Formats: sequence, structure tokens, C-alpha cells
Amino acid sequence: MATILLILHGLVAVGLLGAITHQALAVWAPYRVPPRNFFNRFRAVPAAAFANAIIILYLVTALLGAVVYLYFKVDIQPYLQRDRHWTAMGFLDLKEDFLAIGLGLLPAYWVCWRRPLGNDTGRTRAALTAVLAFIVWWSFLVGHVMNDIMGFGS
Amino acid sequence: MSVPRFSRFAFAFGIAFGLLYVIARAYGLALFTVYPSLGVVLLGMHRSRDIADPAMEFLAPEMWWYGWVASAALGASVIGLVATLLPDRWWRGFWFGWLVIAPFIAIIGSVYLTIPWFRQ
Repeated sequence: MATILLILHGLVAVGLLGAITHQALAVWAPYRVPPRNFFNRFRAVPAAAFANAIIILYLVTALLGAVVYLYFKVDIQPYLQRDRHWTAMGFLDLKEDFLAIGLGLLPAYWVCWRRPLGNDTGRTRAALTAVLAFIVWWSFLVGHVMNDIMGFGS
Repeated sequence: MSVPRFSRFAFAFGIAFGLLYVIARAYGLALFTVYPSLGVVLLGMHRSRDIADPAMEFLAPEMWWYGWVASAALGASVIGLVATLLPDRWWRGFWFGWLVIAPFIAIIGSVYLTIPWFRQ
């Protein structure tokens, strides 16, 4: 069960990573003329269209991660501590902290993308998108490191 | 500028949540503690040695993260609801930068609280 949930968690996280990266690049490095290469096409997307999908994917990823975390705490963490993987544990701690901070930002992020209140919200939504992109990238990379140290079923 | 009620809630919640999460984490203010190996959830913040022999603590690892998130969500919801009741004049000068500054402070706080892992 834990393995299935972990794979699902990873798959949804890949979707989230792609969506938030599309949106962040579209906001911070927009490309308006018809794109000719892959990188330009990647950032020439309608950024606002990603907002709802990002919120849903973030919540689903967080929920699956929160369930997998129960198995991790019992089956994996004792071995990581026995083998003195303190740095990895620190990175994982940061992942859970950043993820929680990102959860709290989701309502404001949604409002900034759905209900523009002037120029200020334009800058704010770009900044919030950057914060969420940082959190998602951090969580994704740390999750991979933790999984590669000692995966479920090993 | 008039700020709709849900937007007020969302902004106040977003500013408060991260800061409250770091405070909850720093001062051990978890709403509940989860013991995944025992299938037990206890209200408040507890340590394994409170319910198991200290020598057997590893058999009952405790989890506070869910409790910290719940504490922050509860506190931020209250602050968000209060924010919706504030008169319009309180919101006229609202600076949207707080929505970015507050989580940034929370991230710095989280990094500070995690330093012990890297010093072992």
C-alpha cells in the first residue's frame, strides 16, 4: 500500500512541478511573439490557466505525502537515524516546513490569480508563484533524495 | 480600493499561517500528536517517553507535524475571520508585500529551527 501511495505521490508531484514551472516562467520571463524553440514554447503559456490546477495538485500531493509520511516515520526514519543521515533528515524537515508554509499561501495565491485588485496583485501573484515554485522544487528534489537513500520495499 | 471579504480572509490567513506555523514549531504548540506505529492520536504535544519506556522510545515514534499544521491553520483561520470584520479603512492602505515578506520570514525561521540536524 505504501509503495502504491508513494508512486501516486510522485506522479502527482511531477504534474505539479510541470505546472508550477510553466506558470513561474510565463510570469517571470513571458514570451509574446510566436515561439520557435522548446524553451520559448514552455514559457509562452497562459499562466492564469494553471492556477486552479496547481492548487488542486498541491493539495493532492500534500495529502498523499502526509499519508506516506506515516509509513516513513515508522519504517524508514529509524534506519536513516541509525545510519546517521542527519543532513538528509534536516532537508526533509525543511521540506515539511516549506510545504506547510505553502499550504497557508494557497488561498491568497488563488485570490491573486482569480480576482485582480490592481497592479499590486500582479506583482504579488508573481512573487507568490515564485515562492510556491521554490517550495515545490525543493520538496520534489528532497523527496527524490530521501527515496533514493532507502526506498520503500527495500 | 475595496477588498472583498474572502480576499481579506485569504490575505490575513496567508500572512498569519506561516508565522504561526514557525511559532508552533518553535514552542511545541502542536494541536495533537500522532503515534503512527500505535495508531494513537493524543490532544496536545507529547513525547514518546511520556507514553513508552524511554529505552523503548524508538518503538513509538511521535509525529508533531500534523499538529503544528492544525495549530497554524486554526490560528490563521481566527485571524482571517477577524480580518473580514475590520472596517474598510483598515484595508485601504494594505500593502500586498506582506504576503511575500511573511512566508519569507517563516522560511528563514524554519531554516533556523532545522540547523541542529546539520550540526550533528
